[in-house]
Amino acid sequence: MSEAALADVKVLDLMWAIAGPAATRMLADYGATVVRVESTTRTDICRTVAPFHELPPESESAVLFHEMNAGKRMITLDLGTPAGREVALDLVRWADVVTEAYSAGTMHALGFGYEALRAVNPSIIMLSTCLMGQTGPLAAYAGFGNLAHSITGFGALCGWPDRAPAGPFGAYTDYIAPRFSAIAILAALDHRRRTGEGQHIDLAQAEAAIHFLGPAMLDYTVNGRVWTAAGNADHDAAPHGVYPAAGDDRWIAIAVRDDAEFAALAAALGDPTLARDPRFATIEARRANLDALDAVVAAWTAARDPHAAETALQAAGVPAAVVAGSADLCADPQLVHRQHVRQLTHPTYGTTPVENARSRLSRTPAMVAGAAPTLGRDNHEVLETILGYDADRIADLVVAGALG
Amino acid sequence: MLSPYRVLDLTRSRGHLCGQILGDLGADVVQVEPPGGAPTRRRGPFVDDAPHPDRSLEWWAVARNKRGVTLDLDRARGRELLLRLVAAADFLIESETPGVQAARGLDYAALAAANPGLVYVSITPFGQTGPKAAWADSDLVLLAAGGPLRLTGDEDRAPLRVGVPQAYAHAAAEAAGAALVAHHERARSGRGQHVDVSAQQAVTLATQAYLLSSAVGFPDARRISGGAGMGPLSVRFVHPAADGHVSITFLFGSSVGPFTRRLMHWVAEEGGCDAATRDKDWVRFFDQLFTGEETFAELVRVQEAVAGFTRTKTKAELLRAALERDLLIAPVATTREVVENAQLAARDYWRTLAHPELDRAVRYPGPFARPSRTPLRYRRRPPMVGEHNREILGGELGLDDAELARLAAGGVI
Repeated sequence: MSEAALADVKVLDLMWAIAGPAATRMLADYGATVVRVESTTRTDICRTVAPFHELPPESESAVLFHEMNAGKRMITLDLGTPAGREVALDLVRWADVVTEAYSAGTMHALGFGYEALRAVNPSIIMLSTCLMGQTGPLAAYAGFGNLAHSITGFGALCGWPDRAPAGPFGAYTDYIAPRFSAIAILAALDHRRRTGEGQHIDLAQAEAAIHFLGPAMLDYTVNGRVWTAAGNADHDAAPHGVYPAAGDDRWIAIAVRDDAEFAALAAALGDPTLARDPRFATIEARRANLDALDAVVAAWTAARDPHAAETALQAAGVPAAVVAGSADLCADPQLVHRQHVRQLTHPTYGTTPVENARSRLSRTPAMVAGAAPTLGRDNHEVLETILGYDADRIADLVVAGALG
Repeated sequence: MLSPYRVLDLTRSRGHLCGQILGDLGADVVQVEPPGGAPTRRRGPFVDDAPHPDRSLEWWAVARNKRGVTLDLDRARGRELLLRLVAAADFLIESETPGVQAARGLDYAALAAANPGLVYVSITPFGQTGPKAAWADSDLVLLAAGGPLRLTGDEDRAPLRVGVPQAYAHAAAEAAGAALVAHHERARSGRGQHVDVSAQQAVTLATQAYLLSSAVGFPDARRISGGAGMGPLSVRFVHPAADGHVSITFLFGSSVGPFTRRLMHWVAEEGGCDAATRDKDWVRFFDQLFTGEETFAELVRVQEAVAGFTRTKTKAELLRAALERDLLIAPVATTREVVENAQLAARDYWRTLAHPELDRAVRYPGPFARPSRTPLRYRRRPPMVGEHNREILGGELGLDDAELARLAAGGVI
């Protein structure tokens, strides 16, 4: 087997929460050495977010933290102490890439601004990611992905026309921005390989996420039209929605985009005449009679197990899927085929599940190297093996309170 | 940053964003479309609501910084011309259902034989192999199959998607990152490889690890309008404002609790809650819920008090307070408000590309990142159908005008 794709990449990761660590998790999956710095006094919020291995939650029981940090090394450092800062600067000298997700200006105030990092490592690549960017009137605006998805327009586009905005779920832009962060880092590494030049990348979560709303944004800048929440409706498809299935809170998603798919749906529903019914024969007719159409579809789905309905519709060529919950997803034959859920050895829980990399490379596949570090697990390894400190120096750091 | 590299983008409707991301980073991206243009061009909205393949805004959103050629890959002559382009390409991106490219002789194995250094990226609904590899898909179906759909919506209605398709945006961005991982490795080995991205798997990131809850015996998340039901905890993020809605991160712990404490001080200052409510231990509140010192019912009562307070303020007032008082509040913005956002304006985010064919200038979403030495450049508006046939098939492959005319007449280009 070939060496891991990113085996030669070293990352000092000063990020926390989701949007940042998800990006470095992707790099770690492909073999980068990622050293995260965590504070023992200012806990990573992912340690306090469900799901948990146990209740009440303990500091190591959050599955989200395991998910975000699998395959990484971690050192606890107090960047407010001179000794802690010296260790951090040695890690900057070691690293190819430094990532941080503090509010804009925080790194500079800590003495770790880009110029300071470049002074000790001239070719360093630094990625700073925050909600709104490093400059501008809202630069210092702190926040999480639920705020970024609201301020960038996702919230207003996820809901029913007669109700308050319903979503999207959680910190939605935190699931978008990390992809762009990883992309920017990898492109900057390519530039450095060819030119020797490092640089500072300012990645605003909001600015990256807006690319996932492109058509709605252009419809405003070009046509002046403001999109509003429209449930699950789609302007090019009917039926198009989420229909009830048998069971408690079970649902199935169905999307029919043309007459051929509608004929297939009609056959699967056991009533091929529906395709000739003047109310439903064309997309225009189906959209005009949507309530009647939805009632026909829902009457069929509501009587069926969602998985059985999914199988029947897919067999007929109709785009359909069970609205999957965790149990469905963990047992999904396709995700199982792709080894999506991995069990990793963990000192407290025996094993802990994480999701696999979300891409497959044929020759240098991703490898999740091990469970996320428990607090302080790797302190000695980082100091001894990566930084080459001797036992006396490490003891001095402990005494100075730098590893906190 | 990627200006030395050539990308052949064969995507037809899924995953166009991947090539655009590489193009924004400077790569020379050639979008290869069937004669008549990619199916995406037939999807609205259109400029001035006038349907035309060169006026689709869905296309414009994903085709900037690309050049365009038309080639019928179902004909031998079309495939032959593609193979000549493949010989000089660094990346190829395609999004056909598994098996389609193999039937054409254009799968990874075939193209790697012609160009061993090629990074060949496939973006598909469920991945290249497996029991669902040939299943029918759509945005809604993939969001259902990958998990995020179930987590979103009102408790008393069906789960909900975002009104702009998301699944292939996630898959395309995932694919761009994975392609660059393979590219990084190629610099050492000289060898390309096949990158296989499943949209179902890409969207699982948006479950925030809830996909794993049953693997540890934890209850599934529950959808709650404007919030999330996590185990015994119901967190409400969306609150009413006098002129719309705002989102508030109302959480606890050592890092977020201080924000909640400051919010509750403001609410109390203006009479929205009493001093006892204000003075709860917002740093330890999460732990107290589990030890029984605080109750989940009390959390609901406090969230209702906050909602009653925010209802009296406008979105702008709440945002101003967030800045002045260091609170975690953001307006739920309409697309108009996003385009008019002062922060984005101050950063010169929106970028204008001239569309001389329509005699207008168009503002596009701006650079997704700002690298200090190698800023992202908006070099090209989206190509019209076959716009660069002559430049690429003629200029690079050496076909003369008569041959191009014959290919056009024969429906190859």
